[in-house]
Amino acid sequence: MSKLYCDNDKYGYQCDFPIAEAYNSAVKDLIRKRFEVFGGKWEDFVFKAETNLIHKRDMEKIESDLLAFGYKFEPSAMSSPRERPDAYKASDLYAEDFSFEHEDAPTAPVDAKGIELCGVGDNVVSYKSNFRGIALYVRTIDKVLECLDGVPENTIAIVDDSGGTLTAPVLQHFSGVLCAGGTARSHLAILTREYNIPCLMNAKLKGIKDGDQLELEVTAQSKTAEDYDAGRDVNANVWRVHQV
Amino acid sequence: MKDIRIDYAQLLETNNLIQQNADETYWLCATRTVQESKIFPVSAYIVFSYLNCFYRFPELLKKIESVMPAEEVGDRARIQGLKIVGWTIPCFYLLGRETLINWGVIKPTDAIQDVIYVMDFWKRFQLSWHRNNGNITNRQANHKAQILPEHTLQVMHADAFDCKVGDSLHTAAQAFIAAVAQYGFLVSCECRLTIHNHGPYKISDKREMLVRDFRELAQYDFPWLDGVGKDIPFNNLSVAIIVENCHINLLDDWGSFESEPEMRAEHIVGVGLYTSDNLTEGRVPVGMENRESLEKIFLDLTEKIKEATNALWKEMAGWTRDQQLDAGALVYFGCAKELAHIAGVYEMEDWMMIDDRVERFRPLLNDEYGNLFLGELVGFISCPSQKMHDYTMMQHTDQPTRALSYIPYSVLKDEPYTKSVGFIEGGSSSLPPKENLYRTSKGLLTLEEYNALSQKFVPKVCSEDFRFLCSDWIKYHHNSDKADQLFSIEQSLSRNLKGKGASLTRDDIENMRNKTE
Repeated sequence: MSKLYCDNDKYGYQCDFPIAEAYNSAVKDLIRKRFEVFGGKWEDFVFKAETNLIHKRDMEKIESDLLAFGYKFEPSAMSSPRERPDAYKASDLYAEDFSFEHEDAPTAPVDAKGIELCGVGDNVVSYKSNFRGIALYVRTIDKVLECLDGVPENTIAIVDDSGGTLTAPVLQHFSGVLCAGGTARSHLAILTREYNIPCLMNAKLKGIKDGDQLELEVTAQSKTAEDYDAGRDVNANVWRVHQV
Repeated sequence: MKDIRIDYAQLLETNNLIQQNADETYWLCATRTVQESKIFPVSAYIVFSYLNCFYRFPELLKKIESVMPAEEVGDRARIQGLKIVGWTIPCFYLLGRETLINWGVIKPTDAIQDVIYVMDFWKRFQLSWHRNNGNITNRQANHKAQILPEHTLQVMHADAFDCKVGDSLHTAAQAFIAAVAQYGFLVSCECRLTIHNHGPYKISDKREMLVRDFRELAQYDFPWLDGVGKDIPFNNLSVAIIVENCHINLLDDWGSFESEPEMRAEHIVGVGLYTSDNLTEGRVPVGMENRESLEKIFLDLTEKIKEATNALWKEMAGWTRDQQLDAGALVYFGCAKELAHIAGVYEMEDWMMIDDRVERFRPLLNDEYGNLFLGELVGFISCPSQKMHDYTMMQHTDQPTRALSYIPYSVLKDEPYTKSVGFIEGGSSSLPPKENLYRTSKGLLTLEEYNALSQKFVPKVCSEDFRFLCSDWIKYHHNSDKADQLFSIEQSLSRNLKGKGASLTRDDIENMRNKTE
């Protein structure tokens, strides 16, 4: 079997994530085989002979070989599992009574002020006072379409990673945003800053349900590029508000 | 076009340019995260776009340079504004190369004349774009982007309307900026390429100016704006913002800014609005006759943009995954297409197609692989090609890694190499066909009309008479007729500076503004 240039790598061996490595290895294996079949010099193969020897159907086979083991991909775009339910895991986007249950979300019981810690996030803009509002998960296109009919006052939208385009037609109607991904420099963070909407990014949350009253600690210091670069935690708290 | 040498000095320079981009790529990505989206398969389309850049940029950049050198394109870009190309041209291209190295499809010794050329094009373009501050990137300028010359800044400074939080102009401007930013992210399929900030520019002890360019808002290159972009009257808009008691302490090569304290509505104390493209004499005022006209245009534009946002969102939410993948990849790949418009050599088939050589890899790009591989490539720097010997300490992380592969110097001795990926032979797109109409400052044009005008048009400040009259020349010749002529070009549409000439200082203008308050 022909060896590829990268087969002699002294320092690098494989990618860290198994799926990334499985795909990369499969493509390399394909190239080795086709180069072997070609039988000439690499310089006559690359950009020349290989364009007729390596096809889209080869890549489709790499995927079908993996799926044949029963593997299903983790979806991110809604269109992916919608079009190929056989290839993608079922999403929990439409789960009823949903709540984020992030393992690293800090929690604490209800204190004397009647507030219960149920998560943290990276504050985008530091405000003079904290913000209180009502939680509403906005995770699907259908939910956004519902919101087009009206968003109640003081709604705190809770969105998955990013969310800048998912919520495009309705973002301005939210009074607060909790985003389970991104950073204080992500697109959604930029947009909430423009709209003057209190926002915590990279939120780690536990147990929050639709309709809960929340308090966002947006008086906290905002997280800067230097903080991210240094790997410093600069947290703003998320509390559930109880009647005292 | 410049000859492409393959010798030791050239490789030393090319590898240095690669390393500059490698260090900044990590920093830019580390201060964000690899993002997901519910609408777009973002990571997958990003990797797809990198491949398209690798296979297509060399030929397309050469096509631009067949009529206009990169450094002249940089001059034009500086006066009209541009999408983010400082980081995107080299990094998208090099990350495509890195992906293919990790797949074993190419070696680091392949297409080396292409790599040298793309980096050299980028270097000359960037040095020209950054001519007024002498750096090659915002990073080299300690994350500042002081792009504009004094004669442009004076007009923006003099003509900006004062505003304060709560007044009607301030409210209208804020609403417009939020709406256009939101629309911009959608137009660009969740990425930030529509928005490009530059500055800060010092206005007074407590005041700074930031120029915010919003590019490609109307019917233009993207097929998805043929319908919803029809009612947007300007393709490009720039908002000049004066802030008080707020220092913009970071403006990176992705055009994003940070400030101390974080910029809030109350910091904005002055605004102006401009449009520009490659057929204008710099930046043309929009609604700048008086406060009322500016407020009205902000309100009108906000309304139109909100309608377009809702219509576009509904359209995109109904796209197939292949359409989402193509659109996102073409937005990224198309970062450099404005340079082709400047040169008047834009072709839809060049810039709005996925190359046949790239199309082969589409089936690999499922959501999960896209997220994980991209995460390793630009976030963790953990792909095999990026691992270096254990004595290595990478900038920012101290890890034994390097984000982008060099061209091995061994090609100068006896190691075989290839020069180029070769010519573009075909491409395709799953998106609806593009209508042959383009919104420009000269109206709606067909591409043939637009290219013809672009090839003929030379902005006055880029003409032989004025092109090399730089700030160092003005410093010593401000009282000459020639300097007055140079300043009068930008001042010709100014409300407050028309005919004022070259000798005013920034403080003269600030005093003038204070007197008229």
